[in-house]
This record gives sequence, C-alpha cells and structure tokens, in this order.
Amino acid sequence: MVGEPILVMLVEDNVDHAELVIRTMEEHRIANKVRHFLDGQSALDYLFHRNEYVDPQLNPRPHVILLDLRLPRVDGIDVLKAIKEDNELKSIPVVVLTTSEAEKDVARAYYNHANSYLVKPVGFEEFKKLMDDLGFYWLGWNTNPNIRD
Amino acid sequence: MPSSNPFLDLARNAILGPTTQTMNFGKLLSLPDLKNSDARVTARLIYFTSVGLIALSLVFFLVISLVAPNLTGRVTVMALMTVLVSFGNIVLVNYGNLRLAGTLLITLAWVVVTIGSITAGGISAPIAIGYMIVVLLGGVLSSNRVNLYLTFLCIGTGILIAYAETNGLIPQAVQYTPSARVAIYSFFLLAALLLQSITAGNMRGLTANIRKSEEKYRSLLENIPITTYINSPDENAYTEYVSPQVKKLLGYVQDDFLRDPLFWIKIIHPEDRERVLAENIRTAQTHEPFNMEYRLITKDGRSIWVKDEAIFLRDESNQSEYWLGVWTDITSRKVAEEEQADLISVMTKRTIQLQTGADVSRAASSILDLDKLLPTVAELIRNHFDYYYVGIFLVDASKQWAILRAATGEMGRQMIAAGHKLEIGESSMIGWCILHGQARIALDAGEEAVRFRNPLLPLTRSEIALPLTARGEVIGAMTIQSELSSAFSRADITVLQAMADQVGNAIQNARLFTERAGLIKELEGRNTELERFTYTVSHDLKSPLVTIRGFLGFLRDSARTGNMERFDRDMHRIANAVDKMQALLNDLLELSRVGRLNTLHEDIPFGKIIQEAVELVIPPSDETRVKIIVQQDLPVVHGDHLRLVEVMQNLISNAVKFMGNQAEPRIEIGQHGFDQDGKPVFFVRDNGIGIEPQYHERIFGLFNRLDPTINGTGIGLTLVKRIIELHGGRIWVESRLGAGATFYFTLPSN
Repeated sequence: MVGEPILVMLVEDNVDHAELVIRTMEEHRIANKVRHFLDGQSALDYLFHRNEYVDPQLNPRPHVILLDLRLPRVDGIDVLKAIKEDNELKSIPVVVLTTSEAEKDVARAYYNHANSYLVKPVGFEEFKKLMDDLGFYWLGWNTNPNIRD
Repeated sequence: MPSSNPFLDLARNAILGPTTQTMNFGKLLSLPDLKNSDARVTARLIYFTSVGLIALSLVFFLVISLVAPNLTGRVTVMALMTVLVSFGNIVLVNYGNLRLAGTLLITLAWVVVTIGSITAGGISAPIAIGYMIVVLLGGVLSSNRVNLYLTFLCIGTGILIAYAETNGLIPQAVQYTPSARVAIYSFFLLAALLLQSITAGNMRGLTANIRKSEEKYRSLLENIPITTYINSPDENAYTEYVSPQVKKLLGYVQDDFLRDPLFWIKIIHPEDRERVLAENIRTAQTHEPFNMEYRLITKDGRSIWVKDEAIFLRDESNQSEYWLGVWTDITSRKVAEEEQADLISVMTKRTIQLQTGADVSRAASSILDLDKLLPTVAELIRNHFDYYYVGIFLVDASKQWAILRAATGEMGRQMIAAGHKLEIGESSMIGWCILHGQARIALDAGEEAVRFRNPLLPLTRSEIALPLTARGEVIGAMTIQSELSSAFSRADITVLQAMADQVGNAIQNARLFTERAGLIKELEGRNTELERFTYTVSHDLKSPLVTIRGFLGFLRDSARTGNMERFDRDMHRIANAVDKMQALLNDLLELSRVGRLNTLHEDIPFGKIIQEAVELVIPPSDETRVKIIVQQDLPVVHGDHLRLVEVMQNLISNAVKFMGNQAEPRIEIGQHGFDQDGKPVFFVRDNGIGIEPQYHERIFGLFNRLDPTINGTGIGLTLVKRIIELHGGRIWVESRLGAGATFYFTLPSN
C-alpha cells in the first residue's frame, strides 16, 4: 500500500449486495477504488481489455477480485476458470463472495483455483466484520504479487 | 453298339441279327450252320451238291462198268476227281470259304465235261450235255454276271471241240451203246434234278426260317413291357412304327400314330415339348443317342413320365436309316422322386425354422434394447429363410397407427427414414392383422391372387403378416415377404407365429426394461431437481435477507446521523427485497402446486388455447406492435386447459419480452409435424434477440435469468417445462444470438 492506489474488482449481479460491499469498503477505507460489474461477460471484457475496456491505462488490473457465483450471461465459475487459465491473470487473488453454502459450489470454486470462499452473512454487523477482515487479510497482511499490465 | 437298355439290344438283334458269328470246327463234314442267311443258302447248295455228286459219281461208275466196259478207265478217273474235289469242297464250306468251294465245284464240272467230250467222242458225245449242268451250277453258286461268262465259256469250249473234231485234232468218237447213252443221260438228268431240288428246298426252308424268326422277335417285341418305335431319320421324326404296347402306355392305338406321323409330338406335355423337340433336332443332326425323360399326356388326360431312348441305325444291306427307340414308363419312379424331394424340402424348411426359432429366442432373451432387438430379429428371419424382406411394426400411442420400427435392406432403411406407417384397420395386411390379432397370408397365385404394389418392394409376390402380442394385447405385427408366388402355407403360420410370439414377449420385456431404466432416470432427475431446488431456494431466498439485514444496519446509522436521504433510499431497497422475497415464495408455491395438482385432463383444440393465451398477454385493447401469426387447423390436444394456457402465456410473453429493438416484431405459432411417438410438435417462433447455444439448457432452470435488467424472477420457463413434462411432453429451444428463438414442444393429442 505504498502510495499505490488499491483497486478492488467486484462482480455482483445484485445491486443491493454490491452497494453493501462498496459502502462498507468505503467507510472502512479498505480500498481506494472499487469497480463493480453486473455480469460475468463485462468482468471478463474488463480483465482481457476487450470492447470498451481496451485501454490498459484506464482499466488497470485489480489487486483482488470479489466474485459472486450465480451471474447472468457468463457464470461465476466460468469467470473464475478464465482467470485461472490465463497466465497473466491467474496470480490475481480471487475471493468468491456468494450467498450459497452448498458444498458443491465450495468444491467447484476451490477446484478451479479460487483463493478464498466467503459466504455473505445475514446481518449488518457480520457483514461489516467480514469486509473488515477481508480487507485486512487480502489487502493488508497478505503480500500480493507485483501486478503488471 | 451296345446300349444301356437291354430291351433296346433285344430290339436291335431282332431286326439286324446278332453281331457275332459262331463256327463249330469240330464237324467239318457236317452241314455248316451259318447265321448269315445268304451265306447259309450258298453253303447248303455247295454242301448238298457235293454230297449228291459223290453219290452220283459212285452210282455212275458202277453202271458204266456194267453197260460200257470200254469206258471204265475214263469214267474211273472222272469219278475219282469228282469225289475228291467234292470232299474238299465240303471241308472248305465248313471253313467258311464258300467262294473257293463254289469256284472249285464249277471248275470241276467244266473240267470233267470238257475232258469227257474231248476224249470220248467230241461234241456229239453224250457227256457234252454236262455243260448245261455247269451253267446250272454257276447259276446257283455265283452271281449272274459270272454265270454269263461261264455260259459263254461253255459255248466257246463246245465250238473249239467241234473245230478240233472237224479238223481231226482229237481222237475218233467212241461208239456209245444205247444203254451207255441212257446211263450218261440219266446221270445228267439226276444231277439236274439234284440241283433243282436242293435249290428249291433251300429256298422254302429259308423263307420259313425267316418267317419263324421274324415271328419270334416280333412276338418278343410286342410282349415286353416297353413300347418300341421307329422314327424317320430326319428332323421331323415321323413315326414309322410303334409297338402295340403303346395302347397300354397311353391309351392310344398304333393307328393313331401311323395315321398322323407327328402324333407323338402332340401328346408331349406342353411344359416339356420345347426341350424335347430341341434335343430331337440336335440328335437328328449329330446322330448321337437320344435319351430324355419327359411327360406325355394319355388319352384320358393323365400325364405320365416316360424315359425315351433311341439310337440311330443304318441298315447296310438296303441302305435305309431310321431311329429305333423305346418308351419306358417311369411315372412311379418320378412320383417317388418328387415325393422324396418334397419331403426333403419340408424337412429342410422345418430345420431352418427351428434354427431360426432358436436364434430369435436367443436374441429375444439377450437383447433388451428395442432399437437393437427388432433389427436383429428381422435380419435373422430374413437371412435364415432367404426371404425378400422382413419388417416389424409397432402400434403407436394413439392406437391408430402401426409404425415401421425395423426393416431389412436398403428399402427398409428408406421406409423407416420416411416414417412409414399403416393405419390399423382393414386397409392393409398389417392393419388387418393388428385389428384382428390373427395371421394372414396373401399370395400372388391361385384364385385370390394378390398384386403387391409397394414401389420400394417391387419383387414381393407373397406376404405373411403375423400379430405380435404381449400379455394378450396386440402390440404390433411382423410382415415377411417373398419373391416366390406362394411361399407361405398354413403350416408356416404355426412355426412363424411361435417365433412372432417370442418377439412379442421380447418387445414387452424390452419395454419394461426401458420403462424401468426411464423410471430410474426420472427418479435421478427428480433427485437432481430437488437438490437444485433446495440449493436455489436457499440461495435465492437468502439473497433478499442479506439485503434486508445489511441495510437495516445502515438504516440505524442513517437515523443516528440524520442522513434522511440515505435513510429513504435504503428503506426503498429493503421494501424491494421484501417484495422480491414474496414473489419468489409465490413462484415456489405455484411450482409445487403444478406438480401436485391432479387436474382434469380434457380434449381442447390447441387453437383455442393459443387464442386465450394471446388475449391474456396482449389484451385486444392493446395497440401493440407485435404481430402474432397463428397457424390454422391445429390439432386437438389432451391436457389441463388452464395449465396449457399458462404455458402459451409464458412462451408468448417471453417472446414479447425478448424482442429487443426489432423493428417488425413477429411471433409465429403452429405445428411442425409429429415426433417419433406420433405426438404433434408445436412451436412458438419469434424474431427477437435470440439465445446463445450455451444457454439453451440453462434458461429452463429455476430462477435462472440471462438478463437481470429484464423483469421477472426467472420462473416462467421452469414452470412451462414442468407443465409440459407433466403432460408427457418435451420442450427444447432452437436459437442463435440475434436470430430469434423457436421453442418446440410436444403434447399428447387425443
């Protein structure tokens, strides 16, 4: 965090949940900037600099990706696969953030090299705590790779 | 020329005489027994003449010694010569040397007469009369020409003797006493008598012998149990003789054949006539033996089998040529042969049927997949019996049609591909067979000959249709077709029906197996669905909860800090989440109600369902731009009226919803043929935004939404799928992104 702006990528189709995440992160100064995507397709477009995200300067690689699993158009798991199969993107930590507690989803996520699997808690305090800890761990304590474009 | 038929040899001997001559050398001096009649006559003449001459010479010697002792010396020499030469002749005759013997005899006579005339009184001597005897002998023993020369020789000799006598070149004539003259004349008269009687007796005996042997052979020929005939040597083969046995053989008499020389051709069985005449022409050219078996029609109209054997003969003596043949009745042998062949063919057929039965039953018990079982069985039956075509039909769900499910050969493949089916009822063999549950045979033969008209099976000339039953119910039928005009008999039904029954049971087993497999699959599907349902419910219902609880915290913060603007926004979010949750709960309730509801199924014209659904989606008052085209004359379907309207309502509103910015939005609704079970296939086609292929399955999943910006919980297609499946139908989509979408689904018709 030495003078470098921290960029979090949030892929979430539920606008209310996205608002919860963004608001919490802002209040707790976890990230300098959060970029929110409503579906898997636009997230992948951003990461691979396609369509309107062609310019790497304006669309830098995020430090961490928060990924919901059930997404319109391209599913969360497919987004995860695409990231982890790409030699340059696979070093970005991907944290799955979802309402699903199903074992199948957990297994599939880790099988496809998710770095962490978090279940959205029902409750305001719990949500805030999770976000705190998440920022603290992935963006504070954790030593991230040097991400270059 | 010995032939295989002993009767034919007999007949030939009767006409030509035996081919070999036998000689007895033990009795050289006895009467020779020659078989050749000409030679026999000559031999007898020489023999008896020689014997007569010996006797006459001895008597003459004795008489002359008494009446003319002056001539004794000369007579002794002449008699001795005569006796010696005569004995020699008898021996020669017995050796068969007739020509030498005859020549010697004539020469002897001429020498004796000539010497006698020269030495004893010239041409006026009584002995000169002996030249007559020489000519007589020549007439009997040699040909006419030789005898002519002999006569001239004798006249010449007489002239020479007369000339010599006139010129005194021979001794003076001996004086003959009247008694000596009488003795000499008597001798010559007796010799003439001897020759005459021998010749005449011989001729009589010969004629009698010939007649006797002819009678013997004729009686033999006409009593043996075969019919003999003689035909002209040319290709016409005119009948020149036929033995009387022909009456017993054919009922016709000899005269029938002799009056019309081509009568025998007219009574040949029409089916055999051509080949018999062809062989007749061939053998008439080559002179090879004629040997055929064929049928003749008797006078009373029966057909009998004969063996006809004939050989070509040439009679050397009078140069004639003819065919000598025999007819032997071989009807009983032929009948036995045919019965045996029939028996063998029946046994072979039964063996093959048993073998096929075993193979079919093996296939029936080992193959549980209907799509493999039926072609295997059809192929087995066709191959084993070398039938032309075998097809297996199964009754469809509507019980109106028999659908071709397996068929042999390329034509079978084509018919299956074309969805060949026959209506159950009286209009086809298969339809009749299924309706009545009975086997049926149709043959292109006999009084009720059937013409087969399937252009794909042009060679079919007989057919058997066998019902396939299971648990007393006719579930289909099998057709077996042959290129032969009468390939099936009542007896075949028993065996083939036994086979068909096994096939019927096997089909039942395969169906039960498939049904079981289907049930297992359905159960697995239900399980998966339940799992997905639980998962979906937990995930989708939890989602608004997260929102509500999360924003409740912010609500408290906002109230504390007095940020009323954020307070209002968050309140609104919470209220939306609650609404969303309520909608989800309603949908779930609806979905579970669809599965549980045991509603009344009825026959409804599908057009009516569409009409009601369209009115619900786009009320008549709505001036919508979407054009909806509904096909006319859609079939009547069987199902839950309200649910089916719901299906159409969902599909139509989906189509409207995903129209995008289509300038001329259009929805077509209609029918697209039938599926393989005979259910009508309906479609709803739009020209909207379309769906990428990878989502074609997912769109039917519970709460799956491709576009979160469009209203709805994502339950519509799940509900549609559930309702259609509960009706026993199927739904799928064909679409490409930007190219519109077509939803196909099947429903039971009445």
